[in-house]
Amino acid sequence: MRGNNRRQFEQNQPGALFGDMPFIVTAAHELKAPLALVRQLSLMLEQGGVTSIEHDRMLRQIILVSERALRLTTDLSRSSRLQDSLFELEPLNPQQICEEVAHELEPLYKARSRQIRVMPHYRSMLVVANRDLLRRIMLNFGDNALHYGAEDVPVELRAGLREDGSRVRLGVRDYGPAVPVDLWQQLQARLGSHAQPLHARPQSSGLGLYVAGQFAEAMRGTIGATRHRDGATFYVDLTASTQLRLL
Amino acid sequence: MTKTPYVLIVEDDEWLAEQHVRTLGLAGIRAEYVPHALAAIDSIDNNMPDVIVLDVLLAGPNAFTLLHELQSHADLASIPVVLCTNSADQLAEEDVVAYGVKRVLDKATMMPSDLVTAIKKVLP
Repeated sequence: MRGNNRRQFEQNQPGALFGDMPFIVTAAHELKAPLALVRQLSLMLEQGGVTSIEHDRMLRQIILVSERALRLTTDLSRSSRLQDSLFELEPLNPQQICEEVAHELEPLYKARSRQIRVMPHYRSMLVVANRDLLRRIMLNFGDNALHYGAEDVPVELRAGLREDGSRVRLGVRDYGPAVPVDLWQQLQARLGSHAQPLHARPQSSGLGLYVAGQFAEAMRGTIGATRHRDGATFYVDLTASTQLRLL
Repeated sequence: MTKTPYVLIVEDDEWLAEQHVRTLGLAGIRAEYVPHALAAIDSIDNNMPDVIVLDVLLAGPNAFTLLHELQSHADLASIPVVLCTNSADQLAEEDVVAYGVKRVLDKATMMPSDLVTAIKKVLP
């Protein structure tokens, strides 16, 4: 890089563009991006002149982008009903949840030339959670990771018992450029409590992470993130079931 | 013989970027895309574009970091920039002119041909 120091360039983020936005504005903004992409792809198809291979590929892209946006809207409506509903908490196999989420996200990853995989875990464990909410949390993390992993390194889903055995952590690890420290601190401070876009990771859904935080809280869990030199892990910590210990 | 214009697209959605490249290609404009500001700087070092099409929210340093960097080099400051963003309604044109931005396109309302028109208008 010419002239200026690269590290300085990486860390220099002049003025937050949006500042603190009302929730509804953030939600509208995050839903605008996929709609705008669907519109552009549709206009290109309408214009014609594409090969049949391109045509099929663009149709597939429209479907996948729409599905992602629909997931977000479903999550939003679900999160607004959290306080009125009782969610059944049951002992679940976290490894199986990871498998299901990876399976659901695989077409989206494949279309973006990315890979997703579940890391093996050999110790039996159960987590006390609501299946639907936990899947939605992990889908949000998986959506986030999609845009920041290197093409040749798969995003990893993993579940494991925490040190004292009372909590289970389910996480999504991506391998990509490290987020600068100051931005990471902002992210940590706002994670799950604000629905703002994450400026260092704009395609990641601040709204999705906020919703994930709400879902985790409804299950008496917490979400968090770990910064690595080569990427990040977003995780949810939940209570481990004692059921296996009683057997 | 006129030189084929070369446009650098800085866009972190590769599907949208591919369509921009295709649209410009059909209009006889050579275009390449990079996913973030750091890659843009590397690319500009190797191949000076005639126009930069720039998304605002990018992974890592955002568009304004890149614009600052461009403005700090005499030879880069004159490259015309077209902002192409979902945040157009939150940007005042007078605020971005100082950064070398010549046009602002709203991804949510633009037609594919608007990109070609904007680039042709700002080509030096």
